[in-house]
Amino acid sequence: MLAVENVTKRYGKVVAVNQVTFEAQPGRILGLLGPNGAGKTTTIRMITYITVPDEGQVLFDGRVVGPWSQERMGYLPEERGLYKKLKVGEQLLYLAELKGLSPTQARERVRYWLGRFEIEDWVGKKTQELSKGMQQKIQFISTILHDPALLILDEPFSGLDPINSELLRDIILELKEQDRTILFASHRMEQVEQICDDLCLISQGEIVLNGTLRDVKRSYGHNTVVVEFDGDGSFVDELVRENLVHVNTRSLHRAEMTLVDGTPARRVLDAALATADEVYRFELVEPPLTEIFVGVVTKQQGREAAAAALSRAPRVKA
Amino acid sequence: MHKIWIILKSEFLRRVKSKWFVVATLVGPVILVAVMVLPAVLGILASGSDEKAIAVVDETGVLLERMQAEAEDQYRFVAAEAPLDSLRAAVEAGTYDGYLVLPGDVLTGAGAATYYSVEGGGLSFGERLERLVSRAVEAERLEARQVDAEVLEILETSVPMRMVKLTDEGEAADDTIAYVLVGYIMGFFIYFAMFFYGAFVMNGVIEEKTSRVVEVMVSSVRPFQLLMGKVLGIGAMGLVQMAAWAVLILLLLTFSGSIASLFLNPADFNLPAQASQEEVLAAADFSVPEIEPGLFVWFLLFFLGGYLLYASLFAAVGSAVEQQQDAQGLMMPITLLILVPIIFITFIVESPNTTLSVVLSLIPFFSPILMVVRAAVTDVPFWEIALSYLLLIGGFLGAIWLSARIYRVGILMYGKKPSLRELARWVRYA
Repeated sequence: MLAVENVTKRYGKVVAVNQVTFEAQPGRILGLLGPNGAGKTTTIRMITYITVPDEGQVLFDGRVVGPWSQERMGYLPEERGLYKKLKVGEQLLYLAELKGLSPTQARERVRYWLGRFEIEDWVGKKTQELSKGMQQKIQFISTILHDPALLILDEPFSGLDPINSELLRDIILELKEQDRTILFASHRMEQVEQICDDLCLISQGEIVLNGTLRDVKRSYGHNTVVVEFDGDGSFVDELVRENLVHVNTRSLHRAEMTLVDGTPARRVLDAALATADEVYRFELVEPPLTEIFVGVVTKQQGREAAAAALSRAPRVKA
Repeated sequence: MHKIWIILKSEFLRRVKSKWFVVATLVGPVILVAVMVLPAVLGILASGSDEKAIAVVDETGVLLERMQAEAEDQYRFVAAEAPLDSLRAAVEAGTYDGYLVLPGDVLTGAGAATYYSVEGGGLSFGERLERLVSRAVEAERLEARQVDAEVLEILETSVPMRMVKLTDEGEAADDTIAYVLVGYIMGFFIYFAMFFYGAFVMNGVIEEKTSRVVEVMVSSVRPFQLLMGKVLGIGAMGLVQMAAWAVLILLLLTFSGSIASLFLNPADFNLPAQASQEEVLAAADFSVPEIEPGLFVWFLLFFLGGYLLYASLFAAVGSAVEQQQDAQGLMMPITLLILVPIIFITFIVESPNTTLSVVLSLIPFFSPILMVVRAAVTDVPFWEIALSYLLLIGGFLGAIWLSARIYRVGILMYGKKPSLRELARWVRYA
C-alpha cells in the first residue's frame, strides 16, 4: 500500500504541493487528476523518490520510500524518453539491471515482454529508428520489466493507436488483478472513468477530491440530463437563458445538461416536448467525470483555469 | 556502488563500441606523429630541391674558382663576362636563378657583394651564399698573406660539445631539449584531454536531459550515482584511448631510431657507406630521451585527476541547459580555469623551481597540467608531487559535491536558461 502523508514541497517561495494526503491500495487503480501545474508531477516525483518532501512522508508498505522502493516500482513519465542510440535490447536490459534484476533475469523478462507485444524482431534495432508509438511501447515495457509492486503511469495511452491502447489496457488491468498498486495520472476523463477504481483530484497543490469513483459520482447525485431529439432545439437556449441548466455538450440532436440549483428534471422534459418534433431519449444520469472535474476546479480557480485544464483532452461524449 | 558500476559499464561500452572511437584511437597517433614529423620532412624536401644556377661577375678574378670548389652540387656558379643588362635578361628569361656581382674591393674588406634575382631566394639561401663568399674571401686573403698551415688549422677550430647530466645511476646524456618537448607534449595532451572528454560528459548530460530519459533514470538510481557513473564511464573510455595512444607512441619511439636512420646518409657524417645503424645515429647525435616510467605514471594519474575535476564541473553545466549553445556562458569560468596553466606553461618550462612555479603546480585547477610539465623538465621532490595530487583529489571531491547539488536540480529543470546566480541557489536547496 502506498500512503502519502501530509506532504509539502516548496520551490523557493512557491508551494508546489501543500499538505497532501492520500492512499493507494493494491489491486486497485488510483486516478491522479488535476490541471497542469496543480502539483501532480511534484507529487509523483516524491513518490518515486526523485525528490524528497520538505514536510510529511511517503510510505510504501509502511516504510519510507527510498532506493529500496525504487527497485519495486515502475514509472512511466508523461514526457517519454529513451537512449536514442542504444539498441532496443540493450536499452531494456540496462534499465532492468538498474532496477536490480540480474542480467540473466533481465534477458528472460525482455524476451517475454517483447513476445507479448509481438515485437521480438526489434531487439537489434536502434531506438531512434523506431516511430513514436513504437518507442512508447518499449518504454512501457521498461516500466513493467522488473515486475514492480507499484506502477505509476502518467498518460500511458497518449500517442498509441486504438489496437495498442487496447493491448495496454488489458495489461494494466491484468497487473491490477495481480494485486499491483497502480497510479494513473491523466487528463483524459473518459479513460479515467473506464479503468480507475479511486480518484484523487489535485488543484493548486491541494487535494480537492478524494474517494472511490463510485462515491465521488454518487455524491454529486443524478443532476445531469441527457436529451435526444429531432427538430427545433431552441428549448435548450431558453432553459439556459432562464438559468435553469448549463450545457455540458450539445450537438444538433443531442444535449447533455447539468441542472442548476435543484431545477426539476421534469422542467427540461416539458420544455423539450413543447418545441422539439420528437424526443427519443430522456435520461437523468450521474454527472460525467469531466463535469465534476470542471466544477471542482472552477470553484477553486475560476472557469478559465478549468477550461485550460481540459483543453488538451476532448470532452466526454457518451 | 553496484548501480554506479552498471552505469559506468553502459556508458563506457556504448562509446568504445562506436565507430568514432575506433577510428580516433587508431588515427590519432598517426596524425600526431605526422604533425611532428611533417615539418622536418618538408624541410629536407625543400633543401633538396634548392639547386640553383648562378651567374657570377667576378671582378677579383680569384673568388669564383674557390666558390665553385666549395659549393659542391647544390649551387652551380657560372662565370659571366657579359654586360649586366644582358645578364638581367638572362635571369628574367630563366637561364639563371640570379647573378652575383663581386666587385674587386671585396678582397680588401671594403666592398660588398650583391646578388640579383627575381624571387629573392629565401632566408637560408642568403645566409649560405654569404658564408660561401666570406669563406672564399677569407681563404684568399690568408693565402695572400702566406699564413702558415698551422695557423690555418687553428682558424678551422670547432670544439664539439656534449651535455652530460648527473643522475643517481651515474651519467646520462643530457636531453634537456627533449625533456622540455616531452613536458610540452604531455601538458598539452592533458589540456586537450580534459577539454575533450569534459565536453563528452557535458554533451552526455545534455542529451539525457533533452531526450527526457533522465527522469526515468533518476526513478531508478540517485542523481549522484548517475553523475558518477557517467563521469567514470567516460573517464574509463578516455583512459583506454590514452593508453592505446601511449602504446602506439612508445612503439613509434622505440623504432624511431630505425625510422630516423632511413633518412640519414652515412656519407654526410664521413662514415663508410656500410656503417652500422648505431654508428650513424651516434654520429648524427640522435638519441631517444629515456622517459622514466614514473613520469608516465604521474602523467596518467594527473590526467585522471584533472579529468575528474573538470568533468564534474562540465556535468553541472550540462545539467543546467537544454542544448549545447546555451552552455557557452556557463562554461566561461571553467574555460578560464583550464586556460591559466597554458599561459604559465612556458614560464614553468623556463624556471621550473621558482616559488611561483611550485605554488602554481600545487593548485588543483592547474596542477594536472603544470605539475606534469614540471615533473618532465626537472626533478620534483616526491612530497611536492604527492601533496599536489592530494590537493587535486580534494579539489575533485569539492567539485563533485558542488556539481551533484547543481545536477540533481538542473536535470529536472526545463525552460528558462539559468544564470550563474541561480546555479548558486540550487546548491543551497535542501
